[in-house]
Amino acid sequence: MSDFFNFDTLSLHAGQTIDKEFGARATPIYQTTSFVFPDTDTASSIFNLERGGHAYSRITNPTVSVLEQRIAALEGGSAAVCTASGMAATFCAITAILSQGDHIVASSQMYGGNISLMKNTLPRFGITTTFVDPTDIGGFRDAVEENTRLIYGELIGNPGLDILDLEAIAEIAAASRIPFMVDATFNTPYLCRCLDYGANMTIHSVTKWLGGHGTAIGGVVVDGGNFDWGAAGKYPTITEPYAPFQGINLWEEFGPSAFATRIRAEAMRDFGPSMAPMTAFLLLQGIETLSLRMEKHHSNTEQMLEFLSNHDQVSWVNHPSLPSHPSHALARKYLPKGAGSIVSFGVNGGREAGKAFIENVQLASHLANVGDAKTLIIHPASTTHSRIDAEALVAAGISEDMIRLSVGLEDIRDLKADFETGFRAAKRAADA
Amino acid sequence: MGFRTRQIHAGVTPDPTTGAILTPIYQSTTFVQPSVDEYLSKGFSYSRSGNPTVRALEAKLADLEGGADCATFGTGMSAVTATMLAFLNAGDHAIISDVAYGGTYRLCTKVLSRFGIDFTFADGSNNDDVAASVRGNTALILTETPANPTMKCSDIAAISEIAKKAGAVHAVDNTFLTPYYQRPFELGADLSIHSTTKYMDGHNATVGGAVISRTPELAAKVKFIQNSTGSIMSPQVAWLTLQGCKTLSVRMDQQSANAMAIAEYLEAHPKVAQVAYPGLKSFAQHELSSRQASGYGAMLWFEVKGGVAAGKKLMDNIEVWTLAENLGSVESLITHPVTMTHADVEEAERKRVGIIDGLVRLSVGLEDVEDLIGALDNALQQV
Repeated sequence: MSDFFNFDTLSLHAGQTIDKEFGARATPIYQTTSFVFPDTDTASSIFNLERGGHAYSRITNPTVSVLEQRIAALEGGSAAVCTASGMAATFCAITAILSQGDHIVASSQMYGGNISLMKNTLPRFGITTTFVDPTDIGGFRDAVEENTRLIYGELIGNPGLDILDLEAIAEIAAASRIPFMVDATFNTPYLCRCLDYGANMTIHSVTKWLGGHGTAIGGVVVDGGNFDWGAAGKYPTITEPYAPFQGINLWEEFGPSAFATRIRAEAMRDFGPSMAPMTAFLLLQGIETLSLRMEKHHSNTEQMLEFLSNHDQVSWVNHPSLPSHPSHALARKYLPKGAGSIVSFGVNGGREAGKAFIENVQLASHLANVGDAKTLIIHPASTTHSRIDAEALVAAGISEDMIRLSVGLEDIRDLKADFETGFRAAKRAADA
Repeated sequence: MGFRTRQIHAGVTPDPTTGAILTPIYQSTTFVQPSVDEYLSKGFSYSRSGNPTVRALEAKLADLEGGADCATFGTGMSAVTATMLAFLNAGDHAIISDVAYGGTYRLCTKVLSRFGIDFTFADGSNNDDVAASVRGNTALILTETPANPTMKCSDIAAISEIAKKAGAVHAVDNTFLTPYYQRPFELGADLSIHSTTKYMDGHNATVGGAVISRTPELAAKVKFIQNSTGSIMSPQVAWLTLQGCKTLSVRMDQQSANAMAIAEYLEAHPKVAQVAYPGLKSFAQHELSSRQASGYGAMLWFEVKGGVAAGKKLMDNIEVWTLAENLGSVESLITHPVTMTHADVEEAERKRVGIIDGLVRLSVGLEDVEDLIGALDNALQQV
């Protein structure tokens, strides 16, 4: 049904066909390891990828399949594969097409887990990465080398919230016949469907805004179905015979979903980071209210930005929707409905004031996640980056007074009152 | 087919759509109807009235007890409540085993009494006392055997005979022994009640209850109350309980063997005044227990010399055993009924039925029996 219904309808219905046996309106939770085969021929054809069907829940599961199809439909992709976490999605997506000796060009402003994967882990397997400032388009072009096989970035960068110019990067990638992969966690398909702007695949930590309630960890890789692996001629995992499945050629057999099939056939089978059926059920339920939540996240963010911008205890506010932000024009182009609900700001008085603010707000939860229905805050200088000196903090784009805020769905009046308490404490700490 | 085969397969068939070997968790409120004319053609409309996952458990439990059908509930207490609501009206009279679970006693004396139902608490271990309690308006006899926590047993066949003559329904709370060891319908009872929280689940994961009926007519009355009052079991709980049931016999056999060894150890201990376990030859109703059940279960109690103070000291110092309510799970639990499970029963009533102050109840789990006995031994030394 994907191309014919609008977004909100898809977020409720895509991927689900009403349970054939009893008509259950909600997706049944197939909490089972295995599926009984009607006969041996069917069994072998499922194993050989000759036909769809479920054999073992590490590879596919009916409840998880509904979530995969729903997210693929929301993104406008050809297929999706869900994984146990967002990091598993990134790892599986990269290793599905890159091998020893291959190279990635990636944005330098990304979630720390992504940076660490590319900087520390993938080099152990002979995959190297050149990091480029996301605002430096020419830098991306210059960083592409003979062995570059992937361009990777986040639409809304971390922690500077710089916006990646999707079309410009996609053009560079297309010119070199290299796929362009975007971690779209911070925007979700509600704010921007990156595939529409030339990205070839997207990654999500479904844990965040898609799931939206902080209840389950999960990830997804969406195959855009818009990359010509055959014409590129340098992706043997997709276009050359795959020995474990009787030498099947995924590109010939699966065309626009060849990439997703490779992840399914290799990563899910051999690495096994599968999503649990209960997790898929919880995340599906979250997606049903994605639009409603995102609208509220953004109306709260707008009011919070106004509140912070006019507050005496705030030294600076950073958000792409503010005209002062260097990416403001790109945000208006790619994120017209809102530029995400992550805000960073500085508290007058530096590290001690920032710490006092965090310790004295009560409604906002002090933790390291983002995208929850609840408002979350963290003071990187005293927590995630507390062992780093002031100079190294600046290099990481973090200042001592910086607070990162994930704006939730509470009544904005209560959030403002909560922050006032925090700011009074910050002032006392700064004056002391 | 044998019990061990049925505990695994009864009620569960591979999902026809996907082949899933386990029953899916139908976490859905409602069921889409193919058309107005085909309303309920697939069997389900709304999850209070019926849910496919819950039905799978009900089918399994009915099969294991050898009954016509089963209705499950949110808790064991709601199963007992539904039984009373199904078979008692204002002006009716019921005979309840005087050593029934404290919660049952509370339900009768503090709740259902407000609706014009009379109760007599009779000594379920004494057939004559039960027969003498029958009145013209007696509609239900509820026994619990072995009873919690006294371990007193009721003669299911004899009391079923009394109930039959009185035109009353005989409901047996079969929680302690489960159909693996004791099948009340084969002895003439009409209903079998369970707290599925206990041995059916077996892992301290859920709370739930079930009423299995001998005939479709009895089942329809219970089912009507289940739907009307809505104290249903959730699909998640049913699913977990379905998994627990598959190892019921293995757990019961091992836990019972552990209980037997512990009972023998305690009986020989100089600091122990008395031990009650149906498997012991010294148990007053050992012969009855051996006759109507194929196993003795994993519940027992003992009294430490020195009364309540000594009992408390033992429970506060013991390791491995957990001081907690509930019973029947893989974890061994130790309980002091007078202050915990039966605190709502008046002191005079407690004394009358044999819940003495120093009674320490054991729910024997699956741990190594050497560790369980070792822990009791250490604790007894400190008494």
